[in-house]
Amino acid sequence: MATIPVSMTVNGEPVAMDVPEYTSMLDFLQEYLNLTGTKLGCGIGVCHACVVVLEREDGSLESVRTCINGVGRFNGKKILTVEGQAKRSADGGIEALSPIQRAFLRHFSFQCGWCTPGFVNATTVLLDRLKREPVPADKLEDTITEALHHHICRCTGYVRYFRAIKEVIESTPGLVKQVE
Amino acid sequence: MPIIHRFLALLLIGATASAETPVEKGRYLAATGDCIACHTATGGRPFVGGRPLPTPFGTIYSTNITPDRKTGIGNYTLEDFDAVMRRGKGPHGNLYPAMPYTSYYLIDGEDIAALYSYFMQLPPVEYSPPKNRLIFPANLRVGLSAWNWLYFDDGKKLPQPGDKSAQWQRGNYLVNALGHCGECHTPRNFAQAMEMEHRFAGNVLEGWDAVDIRPRALQRQGWTREQLMELFTTASSERGTLFGEMFRVVEHSLRHLSEDDLNAIITYLLDDGESRPVDFRNLEQAAARYPSGRRDFIAYCAGCHGREGGGILLDFAPPMDGNAAIRAQNPHNNIAVILRGLPEQRLSRTRARAGMPGFHRELGDARVAELVNFMRSAWGGAEAEVSAEAVAKIRRELSDHGYLGARE
Repeated sequence: MATIPVSMTVNGEPVAMDVPEYTSMLDFLQEYLNLTGTKLGCGIGVCHACVVVLEREDGSLESVRTCINGVGRFNGKKILTVEGQAKRSADGGIEALSPIQRAFLRHFSFQCGWCTPGFVNATTVLLDRLKREPVPADKLEDTITEALHHHICRCTGYVRYFRAIKEVIESTPGLVKQVE
Repeated sequence: MPIIHRFLALLLIGATASAETPVEKGRYLAATGDCIACHTATGGRPFVGGRPLPTPFGTIYSTNITPDRKTGIGNYTLEDFDAVMRRGKGPHGNLYPAMPYTSYYLIDGEDIAALYSYFMQLPPVEYSPPKNRLIFPANLRVGLSAWNWLYFDDGKKLPQPGDKSAQWQRGNYLVNALGHCGECHTPRNFAQAMEMEHRFAGNVLEGWDAVDIRPRALQRQGWTREQLMELFTTASSERGTLFGEMFRVVEHSLRHLSEDDLNAIITYLLDDGESRPVDFRNLEQAAARYPSGRRDFIAYCAGCHGREGGGILLDFAPPMDGNAAIRAQNPHNNIAVILRGLPEQRLSRTRARAGMPGFHRELGDARVAELVNFMRSAWGGAEAEVSAEAVAKIRRELSDHGYLGARE
């Protein structure tokens, strides 16, 4: 089978290897990097469970579905998966979960947890966007809905995800403009 | 038994006759003319107007056509209605030709009367749309008399060649008069009048190519009658899918037409002819010629459109193999769709169109050109190549009009 060379930065670590040309990004993470936190949901780009965070050239973040994109799309790029969210010690042990992860736990946002990596990554992208373009407080709820509404949770944890995300945004300075 | 049959037949005749009240007929004709599309704002009440219509001369807002006496057409007599529809003359002056009286002048008098009956019995709604925002001199309606004198000839009849079938003649009327298909699909001159010598040759509107729908173009792409019927009733088919404004035309208009009328439209569009089966597949040659285009197809497109361009589901990710857009002579939509993506659209509770992400941030002009060339060569039998400059030009136009950079 024809192979293609791929190289990219995943969670701060450079990786480079040859893989079969039709490898999806999701398979690449799971089968070649042993990063199994990114989940296969629908497999056709609808449920958004599989999104990872892609860092654009200007440093801004974007969430990208890994089930429908080939590994080649990520060549030369920097990405963050759910495994890269927590602070880790030198030996790889988890020192502290990210504020988003902590909020999802605090609010019991998820039950089975299959969609959670997607929600964590998409919320990371939303926080990055609000850092660059804060929204007026009265537009916050619409903004959260618009940013996350593609993410499907079959345990229907939407309300608890929503509350957790709103709490993280409101407790992080500079993301919301107060309305006069 | 025969007596019962005759009785049933009588009942059926009775049923059709009562369904053909002027109001019912008018309702059908209003769907055929797709009046609702322009005369309804996004999320607004039907027919009250207020939809912004961008033109090179500024923005025109569609009007309230409910029979409200103050803000709508409640005071119109049939003669007033006829003058507006067929001559672009309103009680307060000339209409802008955004109102397609330039096509509607071909509607026959009986149909105008039926439309009048239908609109006059709608519930009146008091609503005034925003004022038009047009640049000088287009903001002066006085100029419209001159425009009409130059570009509008309501004495000109629809050609009705004697050698065409009756079905063709009906299609001719539907497509050119009420359907006003040419208003989008015909190129316009500097004064925004349709260039009738290039009727249906295609025209770029709001950043999309309203494609060439001349019989030769449709036959060249291999459209069969069955595929066109499927396209007009569901907005998708093996030969291609509709999106944007044309998706809305199916939603509000085409799928409500009778099978006879759709057949007539198809007969007219294919000019009483049939398409020969087509197969332009040449993956190996395309891969050899455009290796980096193929690489990007695998990286960006194959996940949904299939490794060999077979697609997943028609409404989800249509096949590229055999797709009329890939075979189209004008590559505009191939380029534009890669750059700007497509919105999700819904036809009914059970039929919806998945969106497509735009790749204008990630893919530069040369890569888009290479990708388009790979696809057009693999599945479109393309003879001409798309250049990076052509992509750059379309990217600039889309960007200038604000069609790129919306949140994907």
